[in-house]
Amino acid sequence: MIWINGVLVSPGDRSLYGERMLRGHRVWDPYRSKFAALAHLGYGVDLPPSLRVLYLGAAHGTTVSHIADYVECVYAVEIAPRPMQDLLSLARQRGNIVSIMGDATRPEEYAPLLERVDLLYQDVASPCQAEIASAHRVFLKEGGLLLLMVKTRSIDTTADPDEVTRGVIEEISPSYRLKAVVPLDPYHRDHRALVCEGVK
Amino acid sequence: MGMLRKKGPRISSGRAHITYSMQRYWFGDVTESGCIRAEGDAPALAARVSTLATGMEGFVPLRWEQAEECGAVKDRAGYLARLREVTSFLAEQKIQDWYARGDAVLIQKVRMLEDVDRAANLVAERFQEWDLALHPGPRDEPREAAPRRALEQARGRAEGARASVIASVDGLALARAALVQEVSASAGEILPNCTALVGGLVAARLLSAAGSLDALARLPAASLQVLGARAALFAHLRTGSPPPKHGILYQHHRVHNAPRGRRGKVARTLAARLAIAARLDRYRGTRDEEFLKKADEAVRRAGRGT
Repeated sequence: MIWINGVLVSPGDRSLYGERMLRGHRVWDPYRSKFAALAHLGYGVDLPPSLRVLYLGAAHGTTVSHIADYVECVYAVEIAPRPMQDLLSLARQRGNIVSIMGDATRPEEYAPLLERVDLLYQDVASPCQAEIASAHRVFLKEGGLLLLMVKTRSIDTTADPDEVTRGVIEEISPSYRLKAVVPLDPYHRDHRALVCEGVK
Repeated sequence: MGMLRKKGPRISSGRAHITYSMQRYWFGDVTESGCIRAEGDAPALAARVSTLATGMEGFVPLRWEQAEECGAVKDRAGYLARLREVTSFLAEQKIQDWYARGDAVLIQKVRMLEDVDRAANLVAERFQEWDLALHPGPRDEPREAAPRRALEQARGRAEGARASVIASVDGLALARAALVQEVSASAGEILPNCTALVGGLVAARLLSAAGSLDALARLPAASLQVLGARAALFAHLRTGSPPPKHGILYQHHRVHNAPRGRRGKVARTLAARLAIAARLDRYRGTRDEEFLKKADEAVRRAGRGT
């Protein structure tokens, strides 16, 4: 990943959604992107040019666009029509974003479109985040990485975030081995990032 | 179509189990004997993808090289370009379908109505403050009593910027009247049963709070009852304060006109019938007179407390 004086950036010649530019690079704001927050907290994930990424919960595509600046291709899945429109116009400007309108709780609907990837990134606001991660294990290569952004408030608004996170870790344990739990404070409140490896 | 993927007998090869099965991908069907390429342009391939609905059990993700071997694409760049054509086409189509149903436009109308109200109130309040600064003398009534009074009194006498502010508020009032009419009319079409139960405005506001007709039809009655009372509901969940009895539903005259002790019961009964009405609206789309008669009677009964 590219840092300029402590600022995380991605290679790109012009601003796509209003982000600042820094010496010909696009500034990747940790307050807007959990992926960037993770990097700022010391858990940056390498994004080599050969990488293939499956991104669940792409939303308007801000994080997707930065990842796409680094890697070979990003499969971006989003269910809501309004953000999908933004994602599509973004994908028109980048040759390596495959935008898929689909429901992450029903992977069978878009499975015929996907190949295996090196990195599975999941950031969906759903009460069944663990189930979704497990169902997509099949799309992760051996030795591939899962980054699961646990939105504890989407699972249970009243429960303790740590307890919710423990539940998720246990539920995905048959498919993934946990490497790190990273609270995303101060960038994103009540969010925990799980860094996991696929279990064979 | 999902039945097409047949699972054959498991053949033991000594080391591993091989399952005979055809894998269906966007570019074609792959079997162990080869690949049957799907013909056609991006729209044709998109139509094919919508019918695949493969089960996840026994599913093996594709390798892009299979598309190359299949003769569907020349190289990796060609693969991504073709796939992007197909997925973009599919997404555009789904977006078109989404907006074609009309609930998305109705939701925008309701939210515009809410924004217009908010804007008009904001300007009226500021106008009043300005007025107080102009005429700091004693008042006959507390100023909260009449947020628009200052504006009305200045009408015809105000000049310059103040005159044009009044004209803008009048313009917003016109917009509001037109919006109310359009919202009620569309609600009658898109939510015939809900509208018959609680009126077009309240029905449309519930739709807006739910986010879509699909979402509204999936809401349990208990959620419908407190839709729009988010702050009170979460305060209840966090701190154990009394739960809200009603949210948007309070705006319905049967609820706010009910005696205080029975409002909760009326709201609960109404919400239960609304949950059914929303499903009727989503899955049938026409008025169900018999249901409406019974529902109306149930709500009346709840209001009488018998």
